[in-house]
Amino acid sequence: MSEVLEREGVEERAESIRMIRESAAGIAPRGGDRKRIRALRFKEPGFDPAVLRQMGEQGWIGLRVPESRGGAGLGMSEFCALAEEMGAALAPEPLIPAALSAALLAAPGAASGAEGPLDALLGGDQLVLTAWQEAAGMLEASGTADAARVFIPQAGGAQAFLVPVREGGRLSLRLQPREGADLTLEKTQDGAFYGTLRPAGGEVIAEDVGGALELALDEAALATAACLLGVMDQAFALTLDYLRTRQQFGKPIGSFQALQHRAADLKVQLALSRASVEAAAALLDGGADRAARRAAVSRAKARASDAAMLVTRQAIQLHGGIGYTDEADIGLYLRKTMVLANQFGPSALHRRRFAAEAREDEA
Amino acid sequence: MTDLNALSDEAFRAEVRRFVESEFPAELRNPAHRLHWDQGKAWFEKLRAKGWVAPGWPREYGGMGLSASKQIILIEEYERHGVARLPDHGVIMLGPLLIRFGTEEQRQRFLPRILAGEDIWCQGYSEPGAGSDLASLRTEAVLDGDHYVVNGQKIWTTLATDANWIFCLVRTDKGGKKQEGISFLLIDMTSPGVTVRPIINLGLHDEFCEVFFDNVRVPRENLVGEPNKGWSMAKALLGFERIFLGSPRQSGYALARLKMLAERMGVFDEPDFQDRYTRLRMDLEDHKDLYETYVAILRRGETLGADVSMLKLHQAELFQRITELMLEIAGENAGLLEPMGGNRDLHPSGQFIEARPTTIYGGSSEIQRGILAKNVLELPG
Repeated sequence: MSEVLEREGVEERAESIRMIRESAAGIAPRGGDRKRIRALRFKEPGFDPAVLRQMGEQGWIGLRVPESRGGAGLGMSEFCALAEEMGAALAPEPLIPAALSAALLAAPGAASGAEGPLDALLGGDQLVLTAWQEAAGMLEASGTADAARVFIPQAGGAQAFLVPVREGGRLSLRLQPREGADLTLEKTQDGAFYGTLRPAGGEVIAEDVGGALELALDEAALATAACLLGVMDQAFALTLDYLRTRQQFGKPIGSFQALQHRAADLKVQLALSRASVEAAAALLDGGADRAARRAAVSRAKARASDAAMLVTRQAIQLHGGIGYTDEADIGLYLRKTMVLANQFGPSALHRRRFAAEAREDEA
Repeated sequence: MTDLNALSDEAFRAEVRRFVESEFPAELRNPAHRLHWDQGKAWFEKLRAKGWVAPGWPREYGGMGLSASKQIILIEEYERHGVARLPDHGVIMLGPLLIRFGTEEQRQRFLPRILAGEDIWCQGYSEPGAGSDLASLRTEAVLDGDHYVVNGQKIWTTLATDANWIFCLVRTDKGGKKQEGISFLLIDMTSPGVTVRPIINLGLHDEFCEVFFDNVRVPRENLVGEPNKGWSMAKALLGFERIFLGSPRQSGYALARLKMLAERMGVFDEPDFQDRYTRLRMDLEDHKDLYETYVAILRRGETLGADVSMLKLHQAELFQRITELMLEIAGENAGLLEPMGGNRDLHPSGQFIEARPTTIYGGSSEIQRGILAKNVLELPG
């Protein structure tokens, strides 16, 4: 458990989460800057480096990094609240992947060579992304030295990559600069870019990071679940507005019972997602063991992925024809969900993991 | 020209198959999006040369004069080969309407130009405030001497950018029941006051448009049928068309692509996937059987009842479920904008998005369920 959390009681915790949400609204307000989102779509790097720097200045990238390493030392409950707000705002800045890299650079196995990149990353001056993934739909790093690393989110804006490589049975971390790297980019539905990187050596800046990476990937998966929660929450709010105002057959369409029941069903999925995400975050903050952590994270991510797909699909349906236009903002939430739902593990992977890890009293 | 109706079904099917296999441009098979006129023009010219532009029209008006059962064979063969749809509202919608409700003068004026590819028609029904509740449409046509003056806006007008004529439902009477003040009007889109604006859809394509009318003067003789009878005329034409929205074709292609994707992702043999895939396959086979029962109705020369709504409802949702499973198994590929590795068949996000509007257009699933509940099951309310 982090030192900050140990000092604080329940009320202080709630207050710190509230303050996180408030400061989030200052940089990426819920639903308030869709013009900005549209302007950044499909153009490299797919986000605004100045906004990422602001996020660094706010201490968000190092929110989970211990104070002794220059971070804020806050918990997953705070980070999930922040990720939820970023989701609701559709912010394209790669906060979760950046935080994952920060966790690795601040890990116990990090060498002195990691300090410079960590400082630059925490301040938001440099984006360092972890190129851990070798195939679609995974949540583990194999560390194959020469295998291409795929699906690196927002790779076009990175100044350097952390490449986990298995050496002598342990994962060490190589720092590969963007400059001169064999990197290709592919557009994603939300207007961002996935990168594919061919590893080409680089300085070893941390050793034996297997455990740290596993934990960081779990935290990224949970934060992504929180982000999806924000996406679906905002999509649902827009849809309720539409149901209240759109008139057909002489009355608001929200007065038709079939649509009322559907909206009620979506609300249930939203509530389950929130409960699952917040409980998992609290469990991690309370210092859960590995199996309990993996089970809780997987339960939250599976729920959030499936619920967000359902809610955003139905949001399009309930908007009718206008929902199928690109100019209607509701489609932005569907596109974001199409990208995030399978990031850091699709729901099938998380269901398998839950089945393997959950104790009977959790099942 | 041979009398195609005199051929046996087998011989006719073989003739259609020979024609599409030798003449249909290979690069246009199974396109991901509706073709624009310039993309499909070469195929239109082949159809024109063969006299096959209008399968359902009587031969006296230049059509093929095919019986319902022969038309179904034609469509089955087109679908089997992946023949792309042209901008065909003139052939499918307006032609039959003029033949049934128009004056001989209107037929002589408009039908040959459709067959020659000189007039491309689009359909102006929906409006921003009149979607599912189409009868509440407000685009207005006011008589002024020998002209109607049209003001208003249409939306979801498919391929309006390609068209030079639009047939519209317009309001000509604001009193009384809303269905009874609607007329059917033909409007030259080159008239002053007509503006077309393409709408970019979720797939980032421009199939749909908005069409604006600002004091557009339309000659009185462009009104089809009697004034204020447009609603019942348009409705009378819906029967035959509705079956095609329930065709198993879309779901069939999607299922084949789901299989390719599953093989590529290495999950095809997993028991969980096999169970879900098989469920969808069986849904599709059952759907084909259901579809056949409606095809048989048309073959017998009978008209379709309101229960045909079941076909469109089930096909659209099956298509969507297939593409939803694509996203689930594709991992991060589900988020890619373009096809995987440039292979058009491996494009889960594109196919998922393409499936979204099928439960919205042509009568949304909510509307279809309402029809089934009220008109078929005769439930109260």
